[in-house]
Amino acid sequence: MSAVLEVSNLRKSFGGISAVNDVSFDVREGEILGIIGPNGSGKSTLFNCVLGQLLPNAGEIRVDGKPTTGMRPCDLNRLGVSRTFQLLQVFPQLSVRDNLILAGQEHRGSMLSRLFGKSDAGLGDAARKMIDFFQLSHLSHEQAGALSYGQQKLLDAAMAFMAGPRLVLLDEPAGGVNLTMLAHLRERLRAYHAERHATFVVIEHQMEFVMALCTRVLVLAEGRIIAQGAPQDIRRNPTVIEAYLGGQSA
Amino acid sequence: MNRLGAIALGAATILAIVAPFFLRRYGIYLISMWAVLTIAAIGLNLTLGYAGQVSLAQGAFVGIGAYTVALLTQAGWPYPVAFVCAGALCFAIGWLLGYPALRVQHHYLAFVTLAFTTLVFLLLRNEEWLTNGIYGITGTARPVLFGWSTGSALDFYFFCLGMLALLAAATWWMLRSPWGRAFLALRENPLRALSLGLDTRRYTLMAFALGSSLGGMAGALYAPLVQFIEPNSFSLGMSFNLLLMVIVGGSGYFFGPFIGALVAVLLPEWTRFTEGYYLLLYAALVMALMAFCPSGLLGLVERVSKAMTRRAPPPSDLRAEGTSP
Repeated sequence: MSAVLEVSNLRKSFGGISAVNDVSFDVREGEILGIIGPNGSGKSTLFNCVLGQLLPNAGEIRVDGKPTTGMRPCDLNRLGVSRTFQLLQVFPQLSVRDNLILAGQEHRGSMLSRLFGKSDAGLGDAARKMIDFFQLSHLSHEQAGALSYGQQKLLDAAMAFMAGPRLVLLDEPAGGVNLTMLAHLRERLRAYHAERHATFVVIEHQMEFVMALCTRVLVLAEGRIIAQGAPQDIRRNPTVIEAYLGGQSA
Repeated sequence: MNRLGAIALGAATILAIVAPFFLRRYGIYLISMWAVLTIAAIGLNLTLGYAGQVSLAQGAFVGIGAYTVALLTQAGWPYPVAFVCAGALCFAIGWLLGYPALRVQHHYLAFVTLAFTTLVFLLLRNEEWLTNGIYGITGTARPVLFGWSTGSALDFYFFCLGMLALLAAATWWMLRSPWGRAFLALRENPLRALSLGLDTRRYTLMAFALGSSLGGMAGALYAPLVQFIEPNSFSLGMSFNLLLMVIVGGSGYFFGPFIGALVAVLLPEWTRFTEGYYLLLYAALVMALMAFCPSGLLGLVERVSKAMTRRAPPPSDLRAEGTSP
């Protein structure tokens, strides 16, 4: 299976502190890769380098074989790379439907053609289907800011999928979500993966969520990869237990 | 727009058409000024209210538009061509002024645009060979369009009102397109907008350019309305006044500038009965309004309307189902 994302010898330091140190991995098509590690292990820096929000000091990033190192986030998104953020990032004044249309509209035609095109950029049906898929139909015309935290998390994830991306990077999707909503979110992500064979990379602290969702897990500590493999192997890996779990089994 | 809003809009349109027939010359001049400044405020509302880019340069763009029309018509250019040139020139300058907005935001951006206004003022005052300096330019002719002379106060008012309707409709149409959604995204969360593929650089520049262009077109109407333009008219005072119109009316509300311009143009006249104290009273009223209603008059209307909706008993089926997760 071909690699959707390839990261080679990536380095990023801030002053004298090396946040990401010679990290290499790839993500194959249809895979759900989990990235875990203790606080300060470099997960977010790695994400931000991949997503064009930080420029790495060295190394190369490729999406579908195309070099994307230092590419602007909007250009990356148009290449098919989508993301969610650790903290909620919906547009509170817009309705749920408009949030979703916004998430897809820049993939439709040129800026000028969008001005003269339909108000919903031809995405009305797609937005409705996504709203139905994430079971937010009863909230379609509500302002996003009026939704509960868990519902906003669902909307945030739905927005990341709206443009039909090749690769979705989810930054702590379970953060701050109650157990009921968490199970719902995991189930929706699994369903989306099964239906579209989408490729995900997930950063998450919630171990049960990672172990239940991901097909492969990569463990970072002090900016380096210390282990990678199937979730059940990672659970038993003594290096991981030592570095990440503080000497106790999860 | 709900039914009540549609009725209010219809009533306001009828009032705008009928009112000048009951007013004297100065009254018609004032409502013409309202129409002209509303166009400039719509432009600022686009830049500030929708796209979230602070600008204290709108008065300068009104000045650039006014001087462009005055100079070109005096050079023998037809008014419609001069009008288009004023809009296009301000679009281009507005686009360039947008570049600092890519690097700085909020009060830093306010200072950049404030400096631009001062720069334009100094150019208009000092470059006498072009602008006639402090002596200004008099007698910008009112246009004759398809045989219709707008020379009288009443005719020119209807010309300004028509232009206001046309430009407001064009802005409304643009804001209902995906661009309007993109401008709101720029205001609410530029980081997320960027991650969703929005070229925030291009939309920021476009917001500045379109807003400035509307300022320039307002200036193109201002010059033949007042028939005497000089640099002081377009100093910081006008930019602050336009900002006041947007904020008082309700920043980010489409009809905010209409209400704000009405308050800013007419309130000082209504408070003239206090003679020497009218500006003090005007300032006090504006301060009170801002203290109790920071989202502007339309924000207040929305708040009251929501409160009334909440008080109304819900239909029994909704009460039974609820919408909470």
